[in-house]
Amino acid sequence: MPGLRSLAVALPGRIIGAALGAFGATAAGLAFLPPARADFELHYPIIDYRELELEHNADTTFDQPKSGKNNNQSYTIELGYAPVPWWEPEIEGDLNAAPGQNLSYSATTFENTFQLTEQGKYWADLGFFAEYSHVASKADADDIVFGPLIQKQMPDIFGVDLGHDTLHTLNLLVTKEVGRNRNDATPLAIAWQTRIRINPYFEPGFEYYGALSSIAGVSTGQPQQHRLGPALVGEYNLFQYGKIKYEAGYLFGLNRATERGTLRWRFEYEKAF
Amino acid sequence: MVWVRMTKSRIFGATLALAAIAACAAPARAADNFSLTIKGKAFDPNEFTVPAGKKVTLTVKNLNPTPSEFESFDLNREKVVTGGSDITLFVGPLRPGSYEFFDDFSADTPHGHIVAK
Repeated sequence: MPGLRSLAVALPGRIIGAALGAFGATAAGLAFLPPARADFELHYPIIDYRELELEHNADTTFDQPKSGKNNNQSYTIELGYAPVPWWEPEIEGDLNAAPGQNLSYSATTFENTFQLTEQGKYWADLGFFAEYSHVASKADADDIVFGPLIQKQMPDIFGVDLGHDTLHTLNLLVTKEVGRNRNDATPLAIAWQTRIRINPYFEPGFEYYGALSSIAGVSTGQPQQHRLGPALVGEYNLFQYGKIKYEAGYLFGLNRATERGTLRWRFEYEKAF
Repeated sequence: MVWVRMTKSRIFGATLALAAIAACAAPARAADNFSLTIKGKAFDPNEFTVPAGKKVTLTVKNLNPTPSEFESFDLNREKVVTGGSDITLFVGPLRPGSYEFFDDFSADTPHGHIVAK
């Protein structure tokens, strides 16, 4: 990637620090902006070439029974395969149940993850995520979600050596609705996960999921949402028979617009062909 | 107020893009290279030493006609090596210690170790 290489020479660490600092400050300054639909699924920028993946993601919310924020459920089933080392397409079926409503099929989604840098070659690993979601209800709008996926493996955390590497993943995903019934807002979903790589079966950490209603154009007028909580990630290797992975997390709502808690989980079976 | 929001939004978007690119394009130091092969059901060498605290590259060549997968939880690497081809992995900087690796497609291939000193 010659472009990135020349850019790497031109960008010293000081500029990177300033950019990241500005990012934090600007994010804080945007605190008044409102939220987008939450999606509690973290995407990783590293592609497992030639692997077939069958994945299940789910989340359910907890709050007071009549709050309108209790028992909001979401379930997905995904099937993906990486035919080349830099691209993994996936097809996904989504089921949702809003509080007090029955579970119903809500969307069919075509996901794409692109690995843009060789793992470990640069300061961080960079990927790009893009999906198109076709909704089942004619009252809703299809949408496109896209944005960068950034991952950094570190031998310590803020200078403290925990005896194990730490892995930090950031997703910054923008949503644009398209077609009939679309809203012209541009919501931004932020997902952050930090975990300690203790052993393959047990990697504890924490996650943050934030939703800002619009970073450009009109606002949906909804309040922003912030969630933070512990997470556990692991895998069981069956070698030539594949691999089973899991993730589980409990997210505490950090503001009034957010439910008190959300339980999320993910199971994945993958096998290389 | 609307203008202020729009301006902040644009600054935010531009900053995000810059931060993402800058973070991933930071200069990579020149790395020492180490090579190993997979032949039959064995890594050669099965154990070797690399400098601790320094980024290194590993070239893994698969001499078999069938694919293998170089995998290491310790290194956080997992990459398919198709038959008769090779891959390059960027690893580290590693803290001193032993890092296990194995062929994920073959449970009975003896596991290897990279020792960082």
